[in-house]
Amino acid sequence: MVEEIPETRDSLLIRVADARDQVAWEQFARLYRPVVYNVARMRGLQDADAQDVAQQVLIAVSRAIPAWKRIDGTTRFRHWLCRIARNATINCLTRQPGDRAVGGNFYLPDAVSREADIDLDSQLEREYRRQLYRRAAEVVRSRTDENTWQAFAMTMIDGIPIAEAAIRLERSEAVVYAARSRIMRRLRDIVKELEAESDESSS
Amino acid sequence: MKAHPETCDPARVDAYLAESLGVQAELEFLRHLEQCPVCRDRIQKSAAEPSTWSDAEEFLRDQPFDSAFLRSFTQTSTESGQSEAGGDHEDDQNRTAASAEIAQVLAMLSPTDDPQMIGRLGGYEVSGVVGSGGMGVVLKAFDGPLDRTVAIKVLAPRLASSGAARRRFAREAKAAATVLHPNVIVIHGVSNDGPLPFLVMPYLRGESLQRRLNRLGPLSAEEVVRIAQQVASGLAAAHGQGLVHRDIKPANILLEDGVERVTLTDFGLARAVDDASMTRSGVIAGTPQYMSPEQARGDNVDARSDIFSLGSVMYAMCTGRPPFRAETSYGILRRITDTEPRPVRDVNPNIPDWLEHIIQRLLAKSLDDRIQNADHVAVLLRKCLSHLQQPSMAELPEECRTPSRRHVWWRLPQSRLRAVALAAFSCIAVAVIFAVSQTNFIDDTSQRAGESTVSPNADSSQDTATPDGWDAMQAEIDRFEADLSVSEVDVSKLWQIQSDIKPP
Repeated sequence: MVEEIPETRDSLLIRVADARDQVAWEQFARLYRPVVYNVARMRGLQDADAQDVAQQVLIAVSRAIPAWKRIDGTTRFRHWLCRIARNATINCLTRQPGDRAVGGNFYLPDAVSREADIDLDSQLEREYRRQLYRRAAEVVRSRTDENTWQAFAMTMIDGIPIAEAAIRLERSEAVVYAARSRIMRRLRDIVKELEAESDESSS
Repeated sequence: MKAHPETCDPARVDAYLAESLGVQAELEFLRHLEQCPVCRDRIQKSAAEPSTWSDAEEFLRDQPFDSAFLRSFTQTSTESGQSEAGGDHEDDQNRTAASAEIAQVLAMLSPTDDPQMIGRLGGYEVSGVVGSGGMGVVLKAFDGPLDRTVAIKVLAPRLASSGAARRRFAREAKAAATVLHPNVIVIHGVSNDGPLPFLVMPYLRGESLQRRLNRLGPLSAEEVVRIAQQVASGLAAAHGQGLVHRDIKPANILLEDGVERVTLTDFGLARAVDDASMTRSGVIAGTPQYMSPEQARGDNVDARSDIFSLGSVMYAMCTGRPPFRAETSYGILRRITDTEPRPVRDVNPNIPDWLEHIIQRLLAKSLDDRIQNADHVAVLLRKCLSHLQQPSMAELPEECRTPSRRHVWWRLPQSRLRAVALAAFSCIAVAVIFAVSQTNFIDDTSQRAGESTVSPNADSSQDTATPDGWDAMQAEIDRFEADLSVSEVDVSKLWQIQSDIKPP
């Protein structure tokens, strides 16, 4: 029946021989798309344009994938993906403004943006970490009971003082301390695992 | 109640964070925390570095651009053909996706005249939904002409849109239909020409091994061997016809009610999913936890891949959890290819070492080190089963008695019969002693608990777990990780218990 798949997706459909790499790519693409999008928005692009950039970057990366080979077992696929994606983003955001849809955006003059490469790099890094944490938080939350999560969320995300959170949750402060620390530990471990997947050079 | 003059113990803080304290010990720790600002500070410091705390605070607090676009990719990407998600533990989303899929399938059924039924598919009157999985949706239906209830497995619409997947589905289903064996599910029919490709199987009353494990945790050695033996026989029959299952896992092993029969389902269907994935974004269907190393690497697989997976399933039956676990699919795949699982008997000491050894032989990373065919496994396990059932009549098979390289410390004396009987006797003796001491301890603690502040209605088998029963407790908790809904219950119980601690 429905033989076709939406056009824009097609270019992202890749097949890597190694199942580990394939999973890595999917998880990477999911994580990296909002990274590029956020950075693009920070650089003044509007929603639709930022979406385009994110898509372009992922397409560029997926095109580069066939060229990737596991050289000596030391370069992890994810690490490599990160590097390619970073370059692609820098290209997209600083070198080829004409490549993007014409709209009401303003672009930085080329010379200025070149200077800003380093800046962009750290922005990307930061946004990448943000997505790691958010992803990890999703995982933790899906596996924790609501109250324990709330002890963490109230005090860390909503900025409610521990004493007040304890009253609202009808528990002692010690329990709030314990619960939020436990969540924090799990969060840290999952972020580490996600990071290890992108950086590790041995296991 | 004042009981314990608490001292500050950093190790206990770590154990609490690692969630490895028993319920009782956890309560004591929390009580201590009430009084000790030093430990309150310490627990935060050891949970994570200060920079991690501040990162978490900052990154989770706000997303600079809260757009529908981001939400669509970071939250519900498992649906609607936009899937870029890996097979992570995204249970909530999977649940939503699953119910969306069920709705989609139901919407595609033809209308029926029978008010009792919810629709018609092919010649079958559909009466309900049994469940849904990586492959598609399973419906319960009635086969009028033959007057029998059947289960219909419908290929998921998202997979049915791939021509390759449809063709493979039909081909594999036809191949599976040729395998006639009591431990392999019968295929009554296959349909591939309608909008929804489906296959028809008998409707079996019972539960999957996955369900059983979620419900009861680790099984007894005898159960493990009995079930594994039947799975191996079923596999041997299929392998004999050149058919590789490729997705042996507890969810595909059905345990029928009342009879001790084990039925394998979903033969070869994993390949249809693979084909679909090839043309889509390569989503790995379902959990990769039971994959073989060669599958994880994407190499070609043969019958020996199923043998590895059978080893993983046996491991799960013995311990209540799969051998290779990690937070992400990627992590699991790496574990499968790179690491050795924790020895079975570390997790469940009640498993005999010869059984652990068989599992190790099935879980050999290298193809050549594995037991080479399912028939061999089936025969071996049959002998082991007779031995378990009648230790005095049937000896352990020879190859189980040979100490492995890993188990040089383990030697069976020459007078085997006597040794085996002795071993069995001492096992029972130990078990009895353990049970008795356990009971005493429980009585003891529940008495203490009665005096102290633990409310009596928080009393259930798990709550009475003592530090002594720690391993069992840990096994419980680990097992529940596998099943989110249960784990929620478990954790909130802890939360409940925490409420009973009052400041002094």
